[in-house]
Amino acid sequence: MRSFAAVIALVLVAGLQAASQDPAAPPPPQQPSEVAVVISGDPGTPPRYAVPDFVSLTPDAGDAARTVAQVLWDDLAFERELYLIPRDTYATVPVARSPDQVPFTAWRELGADAVVFGTVARNAGTLRIQVRLFNVRTRESVFSKEYTGADTNPRLYAHTISDEVHQQQRALRGVARTKLAYSSDRNRERIVGSVENRDVKEIYMSDYDGANVRRITTSRQLNLTPVWAPDARAIAYTSYRRGYPDLFIALIYQGVQQEPTTAGTQNWLPMFSPDGTRIVFTSSREGNPELYIMNRDGSGLRRLTNHPAIDTTPTWSPTGTQIAFTSDRAGQPQIYIIGADGLNLRRLTTAESYADRPTWSPAPFNEIAFAARTGPGYDVKIYDLATGMTRQITFGEGSNESPAYSPNGRHLAFASTRTGRTQIFTIGRDGRGLRQVTRDGNNYTPAWSN
Amino acid sequence: MPKVMASAPNAGGRHQRGRRIAPTLSEINVVPLVDVMLVLLIIFMVAAPMLQRGVEVNLPVASRSQEIASDRLFVDLPVSYREDRRVFVDKEAIRLDFLAERVRQIMTTRSDKLVYLRGDGEVNLQELMEVFDRLKEGGVQNVGIISKLPGER
Repeated sequence: MRSFAAVIALVLVAGLQAASQDPAAPPPPQQPSEVAVVISGDPGTPPRYAVPDFVSLTPDAGDAARTVAQVLWDDLAFERELYLIPRDTYATVPVARSPDQVPFTAWRELGADAVVFGTVARNAGTLRIQVRLFNVRTRESVFSKEYTGADTNPRLYAHTISDEVHQQQRALRGVARTKLAYSSDRNRERIVGSVENRDVKEIYMSDYDGANVRRITTSRQLNLTPVWAPDARAIAYTSYRRGYPDLFIALIYQGVQQEPTTAGTQNWLPMFSPDGTRIVFTSSREGNPELYIMNRDGSGLRRLTNHPAIDTTPTWSPTGTQIAFTSDRAGQPQIYIIGADGLNLRRLTTAESYADRPTWSPAPFNEIAFAARTGPGYDVKIYDLATGMTRQITFGEGSNESPAYSPNGRHLAFASTRTGRTQIFTIGRDGRGLRQVTRDGNNYTPAWSN
Repeated sequence: MPKVMASAPNAGGRHQRGRRIAPTLSEINVVPLVDVMLVLLIIFMVAAPMLQRGVEVNLPVASRSQEIASDRLFVDLPVSYREDRRVFVDKEAIRLDFLAERVRQIMTTRSDKLVYLRGDGEVNLQELMEVFDRLKEGGVQNVGIISKLPGER
């Protein structure tokens, strides 16, 4: 009887406690509104990534698996946002054949914060690539994608993965799928006709890393200064195929060539406006080289500058309201800015003895890169429009000319003679991370696609 | 005859000189002295570098000294390395294959490419050189080997 009473008392007490606790009970831990997918490294250091070879699920996919992993490693290293652990140190890490075999302990011992696991299957001309990005500390997959497509260019899959990883992990627009266009004499053909003993120059395009070279022009003449349309589907360039310089637009994926200018006038150095509807170019149709603006189809021609000196190499501001160009109206070539309406002319460079070929950076950087004479050759310098300060990117290794910004503004392509012949290089806007893009012949005037 | 007469004083002179007693040496014989001095010189030349080892340095006392000491990167090379080929970087066990890469990662954030190696006395030179190779591969320029004074614990 006593024990029965004790039980009742216990139940009562428990019920009272439950009743008193219920309203004041702490709320259950909230689910994070967004799953934490960003892998961070140790404080003060970039996260360290490991990209081992992808697993080939079919016997004939081994080459593609290796290519994709190597290209992905290069792409991820290019932006210098991540520390990429060199691939030659993976030799003693056990190879995983499936996502649940990834040896996290070994990767952690190697210092990796993130590891990529991918598979490649080749089936009747198509590639199926699955890729996952694991956080090594938590052993969770933070990125998982599958790509299916033609097997002609495995590098494109790696470029796509790199851009998406950069976008997801660093909120950064990668440039791995962008392309470079340049003028090259690599096919070593001689110009026939009036100009003696000169190699022809043709327009070529390649991936940003120099792979997948395609020839755009086949006119066996001088084809110079290619620039990309903002949609990256057309290249405008200067060609001497008529015997005098004139503008042409190549719609590279349709095989169509357009001539927007009136025949018989000398025009060169085209540059698309940021919206792609207008072209600014240099023309000597009225006697001396001046800047003109026309619509992309050649209509609406308007003269922009009016000075007896030479005005050339125009470049648009990212908003399309201003144009920077080179003029020798002060005696030596210097950089000037003029509004797209022809007003508000002002001189930019004052400390240089010779400044040429300005290129306006994309947003968010507000700066203009140009080539300045430093000693016997030229060096790439950057003028910051906000502060008015100039900083130097290259330092007298060969002659460095024709800077062109990458679409995210973090890199510059330029032509340099530092290895003997003139070749295209890319470099970070802080002057670090030099990479050579071309190795064949002489290559000039790079342009970076969007 | 006159020939003999003529030669006689010559012969007599030679005889006289030969019979003369050798004159007393007036200089000190320095040869043994030079021998002793050279031996002493050699002894001191050999001994001089050895003497410097015993020089004591009283380190200046500074409040920052502890701070710098804590920033040092220590690599521990225990005698168990011989079995498992693992060294310890800041108390974390790392196998020799990964040592170069891990040290490279650490060195990217450091201005002084210096590590301090706390090696066990039993570790032999071959094992030490293996670790040195990996450290150099990882970008280390200087390796300080930590020792202790006799009697120190």
